[in-house]
Amino acid sequence: MRRIGIWIAMGGLLLSTAACGGDSGGGTSTPAAQSLSVGFVAEPANLDFTSTEGAAIPQALLVNVYEGLVKLDQDGKIMPLLAEKWEVSGDRKTYTFTLRKNVKFSSGAPFTADDVVFSLDRVKTDWKLKIKSQLDVVDKVEKKDDSTAVVTLKRPSNGFLYSMATRLGAMFSRTGVADLANKPVGTGPYVLGSWRRGDSIQLNANPSYWGAKPSLSSITLKYFKDATAMNNALLTGGIDVISSVQAPESLQQFADPNRFETIEGTTNGEVVLSMNNARPPFNDKKARQAVRHAIDHKALLDTAWAGRGQLIGSMVPPTDPWYEDRTGDYPYDPAKAKELLGGNTLTVKMRIPNLPYAVNSAQVVKSQLAQVGINAEIEPLEFPARWLDVVFKQGDYDMSIINHVEPRDMGIFADKSYYFHYDNPEFGKLLASADEGTEQQQTDDLKKAAKLLSDDAAADWLFLFPNLIVAKKGVTGLPKNAIAESFDFTALAKQ
Amino acid sequence: MRGRLNAGLLVGGALVGIVVLAALASFFWTPHDPTFVDAARKLREPGGGYLLGADKYGRDTFSQLMVGARTTLYVGIVAVGIAAVIGAPLGVIAGMTPRGWLSELIMRVNDLVFAFPALLLAVMLGAVYGAGTLTAMIAIGVATVPAFARVARAATLQVMVTDYILAARAAGRRRPAIAVRHVLPNISSVLIVQASVSFAIAILAEAALSFLGFGTRPPTPSWGRMLQESQELLFSTPRLALWPGLAIALAVLGFNLLGDGLRDFLDPKLRRIRAEG
Repeated sequence: MRRIGIWIAMGGLLLSTAACGGDSGGGTSTPAAQSLSVGFVAEPANLDFTSTEGAAIPQALLVNVYEGLVKLDQDGKIMPLLAEKWEVSGDRKTYTFTLRKNVKFSSGAPFTADDVVFSLDRVKTDWKLKIKSQLDVVDKVEKKDDSTAVVTLKRPSNGFLYSMATRLGAMFSRTGVADLANKPVGTGPYVLGSWRRGDSIQLNANPSYWGAKPSLSSITLKYFKDATAMNNALLTGGIDVISSVQAPESLQQFADPNRFETIEGTTNGEVVLSMNNARPPFNDKKARQAVRHAIDHKALLDTAWAGRGQLIGSMVPPTDPWYEDRTGDYPYDPAKAKELLGGNTLTVKMRIPNLPYAVNSAQVVKSQLAQVGINAEIEPLEFPARWLDVVFKQGDYDMSIINHVEPRDMGIFADKSYYFHYDNPEFGKLLASADEGTEQQQTDDLKKAAKLLSDDAAADWLFLFPNLIVAKKGVTGLPKNAIAESFDFTALAKQ
Repeated sequence: MRGRLNAGLLVGGALVGIVVLAALASFFWTPHDPTFVDAARKLREPGGGYLLGADKYGRDTFSQLMVGARTTLYVGIVAVGIAAVIGAPLGVIAGMTPRGWLSELIMRVNDLVFAFPALLLAVMLGAVYGAGTLTAMIAIGVATVPAFARVARAATLQVMVTDYILAARAAGRRRPAIAVRHVLPNISSVLIVQASVSFAIAILAEAALSFLGFGTRPPTPSWGRMLQESQELLFSTPRLALWPGLAIALAVLGFNLLGDGLRDFLDPKLRRIRAEG
């Protein structure tokens, strides 16, 4: 399956979508007047994530204003939200959701199984996003009674419930979709207060929320075009939290533990050193393996991204159930790399997007590859338009570096026409059996698939992009990992 | 063409000389490989063979500055060269046919290019043909053409009314010959001054483009990109921004002073005023 949605997510430097869940650490009761201001780097174009692509909208609204039947917790597990529980039939094609009672939309309308049917049917009929195809597997959605909804699938799918935890599973009111672009109506702990375009969005606590009431009366999402401006706003007290630090070396400004706290978590973003498997020299597995041996990943992370992030070794982030540490597959070994190249020297085109992590990493990769006789000529291309055209669409490149931010996106390697041009039928089979098999089988198959990718050196994985948050001391309940589509404010509090 | 040496000429010449020396020396020797990444030397303090310390990649700052000087001069020379080779003849042609349609055409197109911001042109070229030193040089060069054309035209207009041109025309010399034998030598001092000033502007433009990621490709050292890479470390390791910043400032100052100095040195009118005063 081809997923172009990632590029839109990356366009706005939006490598910051933060996670759902988080242990509710900020449970202390506080006076009602508390408010917080959180800095972000990309503002939504409008508030309708059913028709407008882009990560900024669900980042602000999902889980905070809109809720789904389920949500992802900080470890990547699927947890109940508007559904108290669910049962899966023996043939794994029927999901019966038992809904929470006494849930109301912010408009006052009660939330019932009719809304579930309405919302999921609406994905097929009204949504305009590419990712809506993820719910094509749904055959029909039915109401059994007011608090029971039954979803029938065309075939067993492990991806279904996961998709339900994304924006695709957001629950809308039958009477609340008239003006989605400006007036979101959801069941979440916050409601839209005001939106000053080009500047900020204010969310107010929802007084009739069904769950634990938020301890803050309002949260302001403040949007900055420039990362340095956002840093300065925190230093001067203009905001309380930086949702995602874009230049990790700048963290040293916030080193004072009496004033600031830095939180480092994980994301779904694998920074991939892609190699064009379809043309020389990297159609030769040995050349690709040589590259993997030639790169000192620890040194790369330390210099290119201030040591922030995690080494992974394959296309799976540590928050996925089938994660295995694959960093040992190709240890740093320049001698072995030279041997694999058979004494040959190579000259290759490294066409990268002109984004900080790519430009930084490329210089280190070039220096390290030079040690084994590979001359990589760096060519930064304007991102997104030019890079997408030259590298992604035309495939005119030997090497590139890009952060693949979509969750659970190992499947992109199964598509021969995708710009990696990786071609191993075995890999596709593993992925297909993983989606249709039991959960255990899914985990086993995907572990094998990740190992296969690594063994074949389909690409090299430089590091897992870190989620870096800086907050004023006393701010609690921030979501550590950015593995879901939303920046979850549910547990946010100020001491 | 003889004049008195002046302070601007001396200081400017010295500053430019340092940059040229550093650039030439970098072909044969730098203290360290300026692009070799070494995590163990990350943000190394100055000293012990690392005169100005190392950056976040562990690359020697001093070596980077030396090779960066090469990039700077390279861009300056080619950009100013393009501007002079295109701009000066156009200006002379326009100056020699002041009331012709050709002159009008040249000068109006000139105005059009002049009105177009140089950096925007470079960013556009970079986006279409790929960012790199070459596109930066071409863009800066093309954007500097009008400056040369205007100066050359103004100077040519002055020269064209002199007696020796009249004599040459009376003697039946063709226009191209007049342009080459009489006009160009007599406006050369103006062009040299213009070249020096344009060089300073080209240096700034290259630094700005590299800062924006549209200039010299990494990892080739460039002062502008050194500045850009040190931006996030401005508060913790300010020296990384200080040195390339200083280098750019001094080189630009040097070429500007040199330009001023050369003007005073070469301009006979100013010389006369000074002698009379």
